[in-house]
Amino acid sequence: MIIELREFTRVEGNGKAEIVVEDGEVKNVRLKIVEGPRFFELLTLGRHYYDVPDLEARICAICYLSHSVASVMAIERAFGVDVPEEIQLLRELGLIGELLESHALHLYLLVAPDVFGYPDAIRMATKHGELVREGLAIKAFGNRLREIIGGREIHGINVKPGGFGRYPTVEELELFERESGALLKLARRAVRLFASLEPYGEKAEHFVATDGYLWGDELVSDEEGTFHYTERIEERSLVYSFAKQSRYNGEPFLVGALARLLLKADSLTPMAKRLFEEHREKLATGYVSYNNLAQAIELVYSLERANEIAKTLLDKGLDGENIPIEVREGEGIGYVEAPRGVLIHHYRIDGSGNVVYSNIITPTALNHTMMELSLLREAKRGYGELDEGSLIQRLEETVRAFDPCISCSVHIVKL
Amino acid sequence: MMEKLKLAVFELTDCGGCALNILFLYERLFDLLEFYEISEFHMATSLSGENHYDVALITGTVSSQRDLALLKEARNHSDYLIALGTCATHGSVQASVEGSIRKKLEKVYGDKGNPMRALDSKPVVEYVAVDFALPGCPYDKEEIYQVLIDIAKGVEPVRKDYPVCIECKLNEYECVLVKKNLPCLGPITYGGCNAACIRSGLGCIGCRGPLPGEVNPASEYEILKDLGYDDDYIIRKFKTFARWEP
Ligand code: SF4
Ligand code: SF4
Repeated sequence: MIIELREFTRVEGNGKAEIVVEDGEVKNVRLKIVEGPRFFELLTLGRHYYDVPDLEARICAICYLSHSVASVMAIERAFGVDVPEEIQLLRELGLIGELLESHALHLYLLVAPDVFGYPDAIRMATKHGELVREGLAIKAFGNRLREIIGGREIHGINVKPGGFGRYPTVEELELFERESGALLKLARRAVRLFASLEPYGEKAEHFVATDGYLWGDELVSDEEGTFHYTERIEERSLVYSFAKQSRYNGEPFLVGALARLLLKADSLTPMAKRLFEEHREKLATGYVSYNNLAQAIELVYSLERANEIAKTLLDKGLDGENIPIEVREGEGIGYVEAPRGVLIHHYRIDGSGNVVYSNIITPTALNHTMMELSLLREAKRGYGELDEGSLIQRLEETVRAFDPCISCSVHIVKL
Repeated sequence: MMEKLKLAVFELTDCGGCALNILFLYERLFDLLEFYEISEFHMATSLSGENHYDVALITGTVSSQRDLALLKEARNHSDYLIALGTCATHGSVQASVEGSIRKKLEKVYGDKGNPMRALDSKPVVEYVAVDFALPGCPYDKEEIYQVLIDIAKGVEPVRKDYPVCIECKLNEYECVLVKKNLPCLGPITYGGCNAACIRSGLGCIGCRGPLPGEVNPASEYEILKDLGYDDDYIIRKFKTFARWEP
């Protein structure tokens, strides 16, 4: 017997699951990504490098800037270009905005209704209006950062190889400094709320992240030093899904907020570090549901870090100079931590500046195996115990904990 | 009190931006909710199962059999249907990937052919009649706010019919095409974004799709050629968000 779950709600994109039951026992779960393919790698082939980040941004609206930045980094590496600290800090600020926008959306609008037993945040707002508004305030601030650094709330084209179309003004930096400070209190409240969630889903045993907090030159994992994705991560196609599945050294693994905290706690800001220490034991169990708690701690990190960066830039002042690009043949990989985890853009560019090879791997594709295992575990636990409605609710919550971004996951190609 | 209109948001294959942008209305979303009740919005609510909608917003392209079935379902059950965003109105980036669906799938997924009954991406407007089309990748959220308020008040919303250039003039932005020689599609692209990219000092990449009517793609073509861009580059640029013959 196969139980078909309807399409998931309160997740980004279109996906559903099938539970395979034999002799009264759950035997298997298939996570089906039904979102149609969008062929992004094919789209970029033959295109001039300058236009590529703007196209790749369209892979996903929730994390468009992660795609632009990863794309720009891969292009700069292919050309052997290094950008100065100022440009790096501004990009980081944009990525922080994205993290805030994405985590706030996920935690306050998509997960919180589960905590309080509502079908959505709008209906939840009648009783918990303050919480919803707090979430919206953090989200709006994140979007403000994306708008100013990225050029628009969604799909801005301001991030370019070598720099920016437009640099922020002193007034804008001052606003970032002020608002990030003011919002910190709200984020700390969120940590308390999401710390109360019980563990569910599978326990992850392997974690992978980039070697810096929000991007890196290579990847890191819990058991070895740095490595390139081609050395340890393998993808395969499935017959029942538009998204591929990945393994790390042949094993399932987790990327995202929980992986970042567990692998890179040393680089956290002071308050975020204290909160991490406070909840370390819980987080270290590896239950995927604690990804929600990890995201809440990252809200605190992001606001503290945005404040630091704004201060630094205000002290030093902005030069607002782009680094000139000289086209040459080359190959480069950009590793960025999108809100949901490791994002990889890999290109080869020819002597006239056109892309001739492109490979993109998104966090949701990397987490696909872990997601399926988590569903399997919850289906086994709940089948026969819970009525169908509650079982489905629990499975939805389990998928939601990953904060999956289904649109993102369907563009994976190796040519 | 007046009965609220039933509003649905259906998402076909896309980046999620056009659905997300509605949530980015923030506080004003609550203003809209004075007039509307959300009956279907997969990204935002677990409720669904109505069989009639007063207004339905459709985002994304038809890229699979699932999308097509959902689109027909939505059309059959709604009074006023809006194709929302460039995916729905013109096909956007995924529709610009050339080649047959079979070939594309083979390249991506190996030789397993078509695993999930994928279709070649096409805009919603190629399959069903729509009552209003609002382009933009993503559209400007002020615009959808206004459109929904208009409909709630029984006024037919107005469609913009001028190019991005007009918005540059209104904002007094320096022309990047003339002053910086950047390839800018502003002269032939639907206005309504308030010239968002030119504000960053960059050229319009045409995300709102080509403006039909008086605009002159041929002269835009000539300008870009004079600036030294080659044919292939210009054609690809023109065709990024809409498959059209310049
Ligand atoms: S039109 Fe653009 S923003 Fe809207 S869904 Fe399509 S790709 Fe995303
Ligand atoms: S300027 Fe052009 S590319 Fe930018 S938002 Fe407007 S229509 Fe889209």
